[in-house]
Amino acid sequence: MNLAVRDLRRRPGRFALSCVGVGLLLTLVLSYSGIYNGFVYEALALINRSGADLWVVQRDTRGPFAEQSRLPQDVRYRMAIVPGVAAASPYIFYLIQRPWQGRSLRLAVVGYDLHSGLGGPTEIVSGRGIAQAHYELVADVKLNLPIGTKLHLGLNDYTVVGLTHGVMSSSGDPVAFFSLADAQEIQFVKDNWAIRDLRERASAAYRNALPTQPTLSQQLASKFADNPDLHTANAILIRLDPGVDSRAVAEQIGRWKYFTAYTTEQQSQLMLAGTVERGRRQTLLFRIFLTLAATVIIAQIIYTMTLEKLKPIALLKLIGAPNRTIVGLVLQESLALGLIAYVVALLVGSWTYDKWPRLVLVQTTDKLILLVMVVGICILASAMGVRRALRVEPGAALTG
Amino acid sequence: MEVVRIENLTKVYGSGKTAVTAVREANLVARSGELVAILGPSGSGKTTLLTSIAGIVEPTSGRVTIGGVTTYDNGWKVRDLSRFRREHLGFIFQSHNLIDFLTARENVLMALQIGGVVGSAAVRIAQELLDYLGVGERQGHLPEQLSGGEQQRVAIARALANSPQVILADEPTAALDTERGESVMALFRGIAREKSSAVICVTHDSRMIEGFDHIYQVKDGLVSDGP
Repeated sequence: MNLAVRDLRRRPGRFALSCVGVGLLLTLVLSYSGIYNGFVYEALALINRSGADLWVVQRDTRGPFAEQSRLPQDVRYRMAIVPGVAAASPYIFYLIQRPWQGRSLRLAVVGYDLHSGLGGPTEIVSGRGIAQAHYELVADVKLNLPIGTKLHLGLNDYTVVGLTHGVMSSSGDPVAFFSLADAQEIQFVKDNWAIRDLRERASAAYRNALPTQPTLSQQLASKFADNPDLHTANAILIRLDPGVDSRAVAEQIGRWKYFTAYTTEQQSQLMLAGTVERGRRQTLLFRIFLTLAATVIIAQIIYTMTLEKLKPIALLKLIGAPNRTIVGLVLQESLALGLIAYVVALLVGSWTYDKWPRLVLVQTTDKLILLVMVVGICILASAMGVRRALRVEPGAALTG
Repeated sequence: MEVVRIENLTKVYGSGKTAVTAVREANLVARSGELVAILGPSGSGKTTLLTSIAGIVEPTSGRVTIGGVTTYDNGWKVRDLSRFRREHLGFIFQSHNLIDFLTARENVLMALQIGGVVGSAAVRIAQELLDYLGVGERQGHLPEQLSGGEQQRVAIARALANSPQVILADEPTAALDTERGESVMALFRGIAREKSSAVICVTHDSRMIEGFDHIYQVKDGLVSDGP
């Protein structure tokens, strides 16, 4: 006969409530593991899906994600002739936030070369890829932009033609893919007011510099203000020929004066060490505190449940129950609480994780680790109750 | 056959100026099939005497022998008292004496399980005992759903579960009305005869002493033979 089951059967509502409470706490513990995994996944999502072997950026910068990097787009041609390079393609990445249909639309813009496809969307879950040089985009489903939506950015309208799933920037912002030219235009082309303003400023500057040649200064000012340098990229992505050592090619490019080249592995390390490391430490601390809180709460519940049973425990001792029966009663109730709460945590998590603002990626390993932790916590938490139960004198059963 | 022998048992609570002698040089004998009463007013030391016999309270001096085994001898005590109680003693108290989260049947089954009897044999014994005590139809009820008399009968069934040599009853009729009290005492007499157990019953109710084979009087810790 299992005493724990029979005791819990008496007040199922209260026990269920305790399980739900502890379960929600465990949901948080599990969520923080998932949040950390989400950080890592998002930080590496664009890198892993780019198809690139090397990332060439402005010298001594950690671009294009961890830090700003700017270099001329035509560097691609210089890279293309490096031995071992199969394809070189300019790449643009930046974040924008625009008001749109009464909400704030924040997205990470990725501009890529349509011909090579390097850095572009690899898995389109709905619709199609970009098929023309201008005015089309592929958006992540998290942006809530259905296919056919027209998005006004800069001076033009762009139509959503395809959707990706789970493509985020390291900041958790969903990604929208544009052609390289469109991404450059959205970033650099000014509207009419900005052009007029810049013309005025440039005219004033040239008039001061060339006070005797007003016509020339006017022409120079117009040229400066009306022709922004569109042909800038944040990185050049390189795909290598099969079997080529990426580190050796990166070293070779690194010897040039103006560029730094990272292998995809180095680029990933830059992201993890930069943006994710702090988040990792933060979530680890949260997990430690939450685990401690769960331990204290389970211990408190089990201790209270034990206190309520001191009379039956004394009776059991009086009729000769061995200590293992008493320990078993307390420990089994503690484990039942922990394991039911664990199942609650798994269920609540599976129902809610896709509704969290940022990606929560709980893996099987996290679930197994939590299970081991829960068993450990329950054993630890029941220690106080067991100690109290074993100290009960059989004679206590005789008192009223 | 002699199953309980108490020799010069003394129990002193506290020490020095605050020392209180609850039982003083007590001697008691109970034989199998015998119904023994320990009679005395409240605070006279009778419960201390009973709990000393059971090993719940450790005597200060003297000797306790149960079923031929010395459980206490002037400071020495048997190693595994829990096991000894499980195998030789049955307990019945005035109230709050059933495990409240177990049904009547489960209370009896629990005692059997502790005694090493499990499975269908345990179920059969529990059923027989509850039927014998007239509460077979109430076996699925929790203690809170039973009357005081029914609870006491279930407690008796539990005490009898492992066929103990000695049944120790502490004020078993105190929470019952006269009619039910007499009914319980009649049961004890029947059990003592039929099960060949020694029943030692502590009571302060002199109305219940009829039918006892042996009566010990306790007053201010002193135990005397006879009413």
